[in-house]
Amino acid sequence: MAILQGMHLTPIGDGNVLLEPTEALDPGEPDTYLVPLTGTLQQMRARRLLYDLKNVPVIDNLYYAWLESLASMCRISGIDMVLVNMRPATAYALALTMKDNPPFSCALDVNRARNLP
Amino acid sequence: MARIAKSTKSTNQLLIEQMMTKVATISQDIEQRGQSIFGQGNLLTIDEINDYSLEFLELFVLLLQAGEKVDRRSSEHKALRQFFSNFSQQIQIRGGNMEEFVRFIHFMQDVFLNNLEVDSSLDFQQTRAILLLLASVFNDIILDVFHVYLAEKERTIQAQQEELKHTSTPITEIWDGVLTLPIIGTLDSSRTMSVMENMLERIEKERAKVVVIDVTGVQAIDSQVSHHLIQMIRAVGLMGAKAILTGIRPEIARAITSLNIDLSLVSTRATLSEGLKEAFSLLGITVLAADVQRR
Repeated sequence: MAILQGMHLTPIGDGNVLLEPTEALDPGEPDTYLVPLTGTLQQMRARRLLYDLKNVPVIDNLYYAWLESLASMCRISGIDMVLVNMRPATAYALALTMKDNPPFSCALDVNRARNLP
Repeated sequence: MARIAKSTKSTNQLLIEQMMTKVATISQDIEQRGQSIFGQGNLLTIDEINDYSLEFLELFVLLLQAGEKVDRRSSEHKALRQFFSNFSQQIQIRGGNMEEFVRFIHFMQDVFLNNLEVDSSLDFQQTRAILLLLASVFNDIILDVFHVYLAEKERTIQAQQEELKHTSTPITEIWDGVLTLPIIGTLDSSRTMSVMENMLERIEKERAKVVVIDVTGVQAIDSQVSHHLIQMIRAVGLMGAKAILTGIRPEIARAITSLNIDLSLVSTRATLSEGLKEAFSLLGITVLAADVQRR
Protein backbone atom coordinates (compact mmCIF):
# COMPACT_ATOMS: atom_id res chain seq x y z
CA MET A 1 0.00 0.00 0.00
CA ALA A 2 1.23 3.49 -0.80
CA ILE A 3 0.13 6.71 0.82
CA LEU A 4 0.40 9.76 -1.38
CA GLN A 5 -0.73 13.24 -0.53
CA GLY A 6 -4.59 13.21 -0.61
CA MET A 7 -5.02 9.50 -1.38
CA HIS A 8 -4.30 5.88 -0.52
CA LEU A 9 -3.23 3.41 -3.19
CA THR A 10 -3.68 -0.32 -2.66
CA PRO A 11 -2.67 -3.00 -5.19
CA ILE A 12 -5.46 -5.60 -5.17
CA GLY A 13 -4.02 -8.11 -7.61
CA ASP A 14 -4.00 -8.74 -11.35
CA GLY A 15 -2.67 -5.26 -12.08
CA ASN A 16 -5.62 -3.61 -10.32
CA VAL A 17 -4.89 -0.70 -7.99
CA LEU A 18 -7.51 0.81 -5.72
CA LEU A 19 -7.33 4.58 -5.20
CA GLU A 20 -9.17 5.90 -2.16
CA PRO A 21 -9.16 9.71 -2.04
CA THR A 22 -8.92 11.25 1.41
CA GLU A 23 -10.34 14.51 2.64
CA ALA A 24 -6.95 16.13 2.04
CA LEU A 25 -7.35 15.79 -1.73
CA ASP A 26 -7.75 19.17 -3.40
CA PRO A 27 -9.22 18.61 -6.88
CA GLY A 28 -8.40 22.21 -7.76
CA GLU A 29 -4.67 21.35 -7.74
CA PRO A 30 -4.34 18.36 -10.10
CA ASP A 31 -0.69 19.13 -10.88
CA THR A 32 0.23 18.40 -7.25
CA TYR A 33 -0.96 14.80 -7.57
CA LEU A 34 -0.79 13.67 -11.19
CA VAL A 35 2.96 13.18 -11.62
CA PRO A 36 3.68 11.38 -8.33
CA LEU A 37 0.52 9.30 -8.76
CA THR A 38 1.39 8.20 -12.28
CA GLY A 39 4.91 7.36 -11.12
CA THR A 40 3.58 5.21 -8.27
CA LEU A 41 1.08 3.45 -10.56
CA GLN A 42 3.87 2.62 -12.99
CA GLN A 43 6.01 1.28 -10.15
CA MET A 44 3.08 -0.90 -9.09
CA ARG A 45 2.74 -2.13 -12.72
CA ALA A 46 -0.90 -1.08 -12.66
CA ARG A 47 -3.08 -1.97 -15.62
CA ARG A 48 -6.30 -0.71 -14.11
CA LEU A 49 -6.96 2.08 -11.63
CA LEU A 50 -10.10 1.69 -9.53
CA TYR A 51 -11.10 5.11 -8.21
CA ASP A 52 -13.31 4.62 -5.14
CA LEU A 53 -16.08 7.21 -4.85
CA LYS A 54 -17.60 5.72 -1.70
CA ASN A 55 -16.70 8.83 0.29
CA VAL A 56 -17.33 11.33 -2.48
CA PRO A 57 -20.94 12.54 -2.14
CA VAL A 58 -20.80 15.23 -4.82
CA ILE A 59 -18.96 15.49 -8.11
CA ASP A 60 -19.01 19.13 -9.09
CA ASN A 61 -17.34 20.68 -12.17
CA LEU A 62 -14.02 21.03 -10.35
CA TYR A 63 -13.99 17.41 -9.19
CA TYR A 64 -15.07 16.22 -12.63
CA ALA A 65 -12.21 18.18 -14.23
CA TRP A 66 -9.81 16.42 -11.83
CA LEU A 67 -11.22 13.03 -12.82
CA GLU A 68 -10.84 13.93 -16.51
CA SER A 69 -7.21 14.97 -15.99
CA LEU A 70 -6.51 11.74 -14.15
CA ALA A 71 -8.23 9.71 -16.89
CA SER A 72 -6.03 11.39 -19.55
CA MET A 73 -2.88 10.62 -17.58
CA CYS A 74 -3.99 7.01 -17.17
CA ARG A 75 -4.78 6.66 -20.88
CA ILE A 76 -1.30 7.98 -21.82
CA SER A 77 0.23 5.53 -19.37
CA GLY A 78 -1.79 2.59 -20.71
CA ILE A 79 -3.91 2.24 -17.58
CA ASP A 80 -7.69 1.84 -17.64
CA MET A 81 -9.51 4.04 -15.18
CA VAL A 82 -12.73 2.79 -13.59
CA LEU A 83 -14.87 4.70 -11.10
CA VAL A 84 -16.40 2.45 -8.48
CA ASN A 85 -19.00 2.82 -5.74
CA MET A 86 -20.66 5.90 -7.17
CA ARG A 87 -23.76 6.71 -5.14
CA PRO A 88 -27.11 6.95 -6.98
CA ALA A 89 -27.56 10.60 -5.98
CA THR A 90 -24.05 11.43 -7.24
CA ALA A 91 -24.68 9.67 -10.56
CA TYR A 92 -27.99 11.44 -10.90
CA ALA A 93 -26.51 14.90 -10.34
CA LEU A 94 -23.52 14.20 -12.57
CA ALA A 95 -25.65 12.87 -15.45
CA LEU A 96 -27.62 16.12 -15.48
CA THR A 97 -24.50 18.26 -15.87
CA MET A 98 -22.37 16.10 -18.18
CA LYS A 99 -22.12 17.27 -21.78
CA ASP A 100 -20.17 14.35 -23.27
CA ASN A 101 -19.59 10.74 -22.49
CA PRO A 102 -17.07 10.32 -19.68
CA PRO A 103 -13.46 9.37 -20.52
CA PHE A 104 -13.51 6.57 -17.93
CA SER A 105 -15.49 3.42 -17.22
CA CYS A 106 -17.72 2.89 -14.22
CA ALA A 107 -18.55 -0.16 -12.13
CA LEU A 108 -20.98 -0.74 -9.31
CA ASP A 109 -18.25 -1.95 -6.94
CA VAL A 110 -14.65 -3.14 -6.76
CA ASN A 111 -15.48 -6.77 -7.61
CA ARG A 112 -17.37 -5.79 -10.74
CA ALA A 113 -14.52 -3.50 -11.78
CA ARG A 114 -11.98 -6.28 -11.36
CA ASN A 115 -14.03 -8.52 -13.65
CA LEU A 116 -14.38 -5.94 -16.42
CA PRO A 117 -12.97 -7.21 -19.74
CA MET B 1 -91.30 54.81 23.57
CA ALA B 2 -91.38 51.39 22.06
CA ARG B 3 -89.71 52.71 18.92
CA ILE B 4 -86.81 54.24 20.90
CA ALA B 5 -86.24 50.99 22.80
CA LYS B 6 -86.19 49.04 19.55
CA SER B 7 -83.56 51.23 17.91
CA THR B 8 -81.06 50.84 20.78
CA LYS B 9 -80.77 47.12 20.19
CA SER B 10 -77.87 45.91 18.07
CA THR B 11 -78.43 43.97 14.85
CA ASN B 12 -77.05 40.87 16.53
CA GLN B 13 -79.54 41.15 19.38
CA LEU B 14 -82.41 41.67 16.97
CA LEU B 15 -81.46 38.59 15.03
CA ILE B 16 -81.11 36.52 18.20
CA GLU B 17 -84.55 37.62 19.34
CA GLN B 18 -85.94 36.73 15.96
CA MET B 19 -84.39 33.30 16.08
CA MET B 20 -85.47 32.61 19.64
CA THR B 21 -89.14 33.23 18.89
CA LYS B 22 -89.08 30.76 16.01
CA VAL B 23 -86.16 28.51 16.78
CA ALA B 24 -88.27 25.38 16.57
CA THR B 25 -89.56 26.26 13.08
CA ILE B 26 -86.10 27.29 11.86
CA SER B 27 -84.52 24.11 13.17
CA GLN B 28 -87.28 21.96 11.68
CA ASP B 29 -87.04 23.67 8.28
CA ILE B 30 -83.27 23.19 8.13
CA GLU B 31 -83.52 19.56 9.20
CA GLN B 32 -86.21 18.79 6.63
CA ARG B 33 -84.21 20.37 3.84
CA GLY B 34 -81.07 18.58 5.02
CA GLN B 35 -82.88 15.26 4.95
CA SER B 36 -84.21 15.83 1.45
CA ILE B 37 -80.70 16.69 0.16
CA PHE B 38 -78.38 14.44 2.12
CA GLY B 39 -80.73 11.72 3.28
CA GLN B 40 -81.75 10.50 -0.16
CA GLY B 41 -78.21 9.75 -1.29
CA ASN B 42 -77.41 8.23 2.13
CA LEU B 43 -74.73 10.86 2.57
CA LEU B 44 -75.80 11.55 6.13
CA THR B 45 -78.06 9.73 8.57
CA ILE B 46 -81.08 11.52 10.02
CA ASP B 47 -79.28 11.78 13.37
CA GLU B 48 -76.25 13.35 11.73
CA ILE B 49 -78.42 15.85 9.88
CA ASN B 50 -80.23 16.79 13.09
CA ASP B 51 -76.93 17.10 14.96
CA TYR B 52 -75.44 19.29 12.24
CA SER B 53 -78.54 21.51 12.17
CA LEU B 54 -78.51 22.00 15.93
CA GLU B 55 -74.76 22.59 16.04
CA PHE B 56 -75.08 25.20 13.32
CA LEU B 57 -77.82 27.07 15.22
CA GLU B 58 -75.80 26.92 18.45
CA LEU B 59 -72.65 28.23 16.79
CA PHE B 60 -74.59 30.93 14.98
CA VAL B 61 -76.20 32.15 18.22
CA LEU B 62 -72.79 32.10 19.94
CA LEU B 63 -71.41 34.24 17.15
CA LEU B 64 -74.24 36.74 17.49
CA GLN B 65 -73.86 36.81 21.27
CA ALA B 66 -70.10 37.41 21.11
CA GLY B 67 -70.45 41.17 20.58
CA GLU B 68 -72.52 43.95 19.14
CA LYS B 69 -70.97 43.41 15.75
CA VAL B 70 -69.77 40.26 14.09
CA ASP B 71 -65.99 40.11 14.38
CA ARG B 72 -64.41 38.01 11.65
CA ARG B 73 -61.34 37.38 13.78
CA SER B 74 -63.31 36.18 16.79
CA SER B 75 -63.06 32.57 17.91
CA GLU B 76 -66.85 32.20 17.49
CA HIS B 77 -66.60 33.24 13.83
CA LYS B 78 -63.71 30.84 13.32
CA ALA B 79 -65.66 28.06 15.01
CA LEU B 80 -68.64 28.55 12.69
CA ARG B 81 -66.41 28.55 9.60
CA GLN B 82 -64.55 25.51 10.85
CA PHE B 83 -67.87 23.76 11.39
CA PHE B 84 -68.81 24.32 7.75
CA SER B 85 -65.35 23.34 6.53
CA ASN B 86 -65.62 20.03 8.37
CA PHE B 87 -69.20 19.56 7.23
CA SER B 88 -68.33 20.13 3.55
CA GLN B 89 -65.25 17.89 3.85
CA GLN B 90 -67.42 15.07 5.15
CA ILE B 91 -69.94 15.55 2.34
CA GLN B 92 -67.12 15.51 -0.22
CA ILE B 93 -65.46 12.43 1.23
CA ARG B 94 -68.81 10.61 1.06
CA GLY B 95 -69.15 11.55 -2.60
CA GLY B 96 -71.66 14.37 -2.16
CA ASN B 97 -72.34 17.11 -4.64
CA MET B 98 -70.80 20.44 -3.69
CA GLU B 99 -73.46 22.36 -5.61
CA GLU B 100 -76.18 20.79 -3.49
CA PHE B 101 -74.23 21.63 -0.37
CA VAL B 102 -73.95 25.29 -1.36
CA ARG B 103 -77.69 25.29 -2.10
CA PHE B 104 -78.25 23.95 1.40
CA ILE B 105 -76.23 26.84 2.87
CA HIS B 106 -78.29 29.26 0.79
CA PHE B 107 -81.40 27.60 2.12
CA MET B 108 -80.21 28.18 5.70
CA GLN B 109 -79.83 31.85 4.88
CA ASP B 110 -83.26 31.88 3.23
CA VAL B 111 -84.86 30.49 6.39
CA PHE B 112 -83.71 33.57 8.30
CA LEU B 113 -84.77 35.88 5.47
CA ASN B 114 -88.24 34.34 5.39
CA ASN B 115 -88.57 34.99 9.10
CA LEU B 116 -87.73 38.64 8.52
CA GLU B 117 -90.52 38.90 5.96
CA VAL B 118 -93.17 37.78 8.41
CA ASP B 119 -91.88 40.00 11.25
CA SER B 120 -93.57 43.37 10.83
CA SER B 121 -92.12 44.81 14.05
CA LEU B 122 -88.77 45.54 12.36
CA ASP B 123 -88.30 48.83 10.53
CA PHE B 124 -86.47 49.22 7.24
CA GLN B 125 -83.09 50.09 8.75
CA GLN B 126 -83.16 47.12 11.09
CA THR B 127 -84.22 44.75 8.31
CA ARG B 128 -81.45 46.11 6.11
CA ALA B 129 -78.85 45.69 8.86
CA ILE B 130 -79.93 42.09 9.47
CA LEU B 131 -79.84 41.35 5.75
CA LEU B 132 -76.31 42.72 5.48
CA LEU B 133 -75.21 40.74 8.50
CA LEU B 134 -76.64 37.51 7.12
CA ALA B 135 -75.13 38.14 3.70
CA SER B 136 -71.70 38.80 5.19
CA VAL B 137 -71.68 35.71 7.43
CA PHE B 138 -73.08 33.34 4.79
CA ASN B 139 -70.80 34.67 2.04
CA ASP B 140 -67.80 33.93 4.24
CA ILE B 141 -69.11 30.43 4.86
CA ILE B 142 -69.65 29.77 1.15
CA LEU B 143 -66.16 31.04 0.36
CA ASP B 144 -64.68 28.69 2.97
CA VAL B 145 -66.63 25.76 1.60
CA PHE B 146 -65.38 26.63 -1.87
CA HIS B 147 -61.77 26.74 -0.60
CA VAL B 148 -62.17 23.36 1.10
CA TYR B 149 -63.63 21.97 -2.10
CA LEU B 150 -60.72 23.29 -4.19
CA ALA B 151 -58.10 22.10 -1.71
CA GLU B 152 -59.66 18.62 -1.64
CA LYS B 153 -59.76 18.52 -5.46
CA GLU B 154 -56.14 19.62 -5.66
CA ARG B 155 -55.12 16.95 -3.16
CA THR B 156 -56.94 14.34 -5.24
CA ILE B 157 -55.31 15.51 -8.49
CA GLN B 158 -51.86 15.51 -6.87
CA ALA B 159 -52.37 12.03 -5.46
CA GLN B 160 -53.52 10.80 -8.88
CA GLN B 161 -50.51 12.41 -10.56
CA GLU B 162 -48.16 10.75 -8.06
CA GLU B 163 -49.80 7.39 -8.61
CA LEU B 164 -49.67 7.83 -12.37
CA LYS B 165 -46.00 8.74 -12.15
CA HIS B 166 -45.23 5.47 -10.40
CA THR B 167 -47.53 3.23 -12.39
CA SER B 168 -46.56 4.66 -15.78
CA THR B 169 -42.87 3.82 -15.29
CA PRO B 170 -42.68 0.52 -13.47
CA ILE B 171 -39.11 -0.67 -13.03
CA THR B 172 -39.08 -4.46 -12.97
CA GLU B 173 -36.24 -6.90 -12.42
CA ILE B 174 -37.06 -9.50 -15.05
CA TRP B 175 -33.88 -11.50 -14.58
CA ASP B 176 -31.07 -11.47 -12.06
CA GLY B 177 -29.25 -8.25 -12.81
CA VAL B 178 -31.58 -7.14 -15.63
CA LEU B 179 -34.03 -4.27 -15.09
CA THR B 180 -36.67 -3.13 -17.57
CA LEU B 181 -38.04 0.36 -17.71
CA PRO B 182 -40.94 0.84 -20.12
CA ILE B 183 -41.62 4.52 -20.75
CA ILE B 184 -45.15 5.46 -21.76
CA GLY B 185 -46.21 8.97 -22.76
CA THR B 186 -43.80 11.86 -22.74
CA LEU B 187 -40.68 12.47 -20.73
CA ASP B 188 -40.76 15.90 -19.14
CA SER B 189 -38.14 17.17 -16.71
CA SER B 190 -40.05 16.32 -13.54
CA ARG B 191 -40.87 12.80 -14.75
CA THR B 192 -37.28 12.22 -15.90
CA MET B 193 -36.04 13.22 -12.47
CA SER B 194 -38.37 10.86 -10.65
CA VAL B 195 -37.71 7.96 -13.06
CA MET B 196 -33.95 8.47 -12.89
CA GLU B 197 -33.94 8.63 -9.13
CA ASN B 198 -35.93 5.40 -8.83
CA MET B 199 -33.92 3.66 -11.52
CA LEU B 200 -30.50 4.49 -10.01
CA GLU B 201 -31.61 3.34 -6.59
CA ARG B 202 -32.90 0.10 -8.08
CA ILE B 203 -29.60 -0.46 -9.90
CA GLU B 204 -27.79 -0.19 -6.58
CA LYS B 205 -30.34 -2.27 -4.69
CA GLU B 206 -30.68 -5.08 -7.24
CA ARG B 207 -27.03 -4.84 -8.29
CA ALA B 208 -28.26 -4.62 -11.86
CA LYS B 209 -25.84 -5.02 -14.74
CA VAL B 210 -28.20 -4.16 -17.60
CA VAL B 211 -31.15 -1.78 -17.87
CA VAL B 212 -33.46 -2.16 -20.87
CA ILE B 213 -35.26 1.15 -21.51
CA ASP B 214 -38.25 0.53 -23.75
CA VAL B 215 -39.71 3.55 -25.54
CA THR B 216 -42.43 1.71 -27.50
CA GLY B 217 -45.03 3.75 -25.61
CA VAL B 218 -43.42 7.11 -26.38
CA GLN B 219 -45.65 8.84 -28.89
CA ALA B 220 -43.38 11.71 -29.90
CA ILE B 221 -39.83 12.73 -29.32
CA ASP B 222 -38.35 16.21 -29.38
CA SER B 223 -34.93 17.55 -28.46
CA GLN B 224 -35.98 17.88 -24.83
CA VAL B 225 -37.19 14.28 -24.57
CA SER B 226 -34.10 12.92 -26.32
CA HIS B 227 -31.91 15.01 -24.04
CA HIS B 228 -33.63 13.41 -21.05
CA LEU B 229 -33.17 9.95 -22.55
CA ILE B 230 -29.46 10.57 -23.00
CA GLN B 231 -29.18 11.81 -19.42
CA MET B 232 -30.85 8.62 -18.25
CA ILE B 233 -28.53 6.42 -20.28
CA ARG B 234 -25.48 8.30 -18.96
CA ALA B 235 -26.70 7.96 -15.38
CA VAL B 236 -27.09 4.19 -15.88
CA GLY B 237 -23.53 4.06 -17.22
CA LEU B 238 -22.19 6.01 -14.24
CA MET B 239 -23.66 3.38 -11.94
CA GLY B 240 -21.65 0.78 -13.84
CA ALA B 241 -24.61 -0.74 -15.66
CA LYS B 242 -25.25 -0.98 -19.38
CA ALA B 243 -28.31 0.69 -20.92
CA ILE B 244 -30.10 -0.79 -23.93
CA LEU B 245 -32.67 1.35 -25.70
CA THR B 246 -35.50 -0.59 -27.34
CA GLY B 247 -38.75 0.04 -29.17
CA ILE B 248 -37.66 2.95 -31.34
CA ARG B 249 -40.48 3.16 -33.87
CA PRO B 250 -39.71 4.44 -37.39
CA GLU B 251 -41.25 7.85 -36.67
CA ILE B 252 -39.15 8.20 -33.53
CA ALA B 253 -36.02 7.09 -35.41
CA ARG B 254 -36.77 9.72 -38.07
CA ALA B 255 -37.20 12.39 -35.41
CA ILE B 256 -33.91 11.40 -33.77
CA THR B 257 -32.02 11.69 -37.04
CA SER B 258 -33.72 15.00 -37.89
CA LEU B 259 -32.71 16.37 -34.52
CA ASN B 260 -29.06 15.29 -35.11
CA ILE B 261 -29.03 13.35 -31.87
CA ASP B 262 -26.01 11.10 -31.55
CA LEU B 263 -27.04 7.72 -30.20
CA SER B 264 -24.02 5.94 -31.66
CA LEU B 265 -22.67 5.04 -28.24
CA VAL B 266 -26.04 3.73 -27.10
CA SER B 267 -26.93 0.12 -27.71
CA THR B 268 -30.31 0.08 -29.47
CA ARG B 269 -32.63 -2.76 -30.46
CA ALA B 270 -35.90 -2.73 -32.36
CA THR B 271 -38.03 -4.55 -29.82
CA LEU B 272 -38.06 -5.28 -26.13
CA SER B 273 -37.47 -8.98 -26.80
CA GLU B 274 -34.41 -8.17 -28.90
CA GLY B 275 -33.22 -5.95 -26.06
CA LEU B 276 -33.63 -8.81 -23.61
CA LYS B 277 -31.65 -11.13 -25.88
CA GLU B 278 -28.89 -8.52 -25.96
CA ALA B 279 -29.02 -8.24 -22.17
CA PHE B 280 -28.70 -12.02 -21.81
CA SER B 281 -25.83 -12.03 -24.27
CA LEU B 282 -24.04 -9.35 -22.23
CA LEU B 283 -24.48 -11.47 -19.12
CA GLY B 284 -23.31 -14.59 -20.95
CA ILE B 285 -26.70 -16.27 -20.58
CA THR B 286 -28.14 -18.52 -23.27
CA VAL B 287 -31.84 -19.30 -23.18
CA LEU B 288 -32.71 -22.65 -24.75
CA ALA B 289 -36.04 -24.38 -25.31
CA ALA B 290 -36.67 -27.19 -22.80
CA ASP B 291 -36.52 -29.96 -25.46
CA VAL B 292 -33.19 -28.65 -26.76
CA GLN B 293 -31.83 -28.73 -23.22
CA ARG B 294 -32.94 -32.39 -22.75
CA ARG B 295 -31.11 -33.45 -25.89
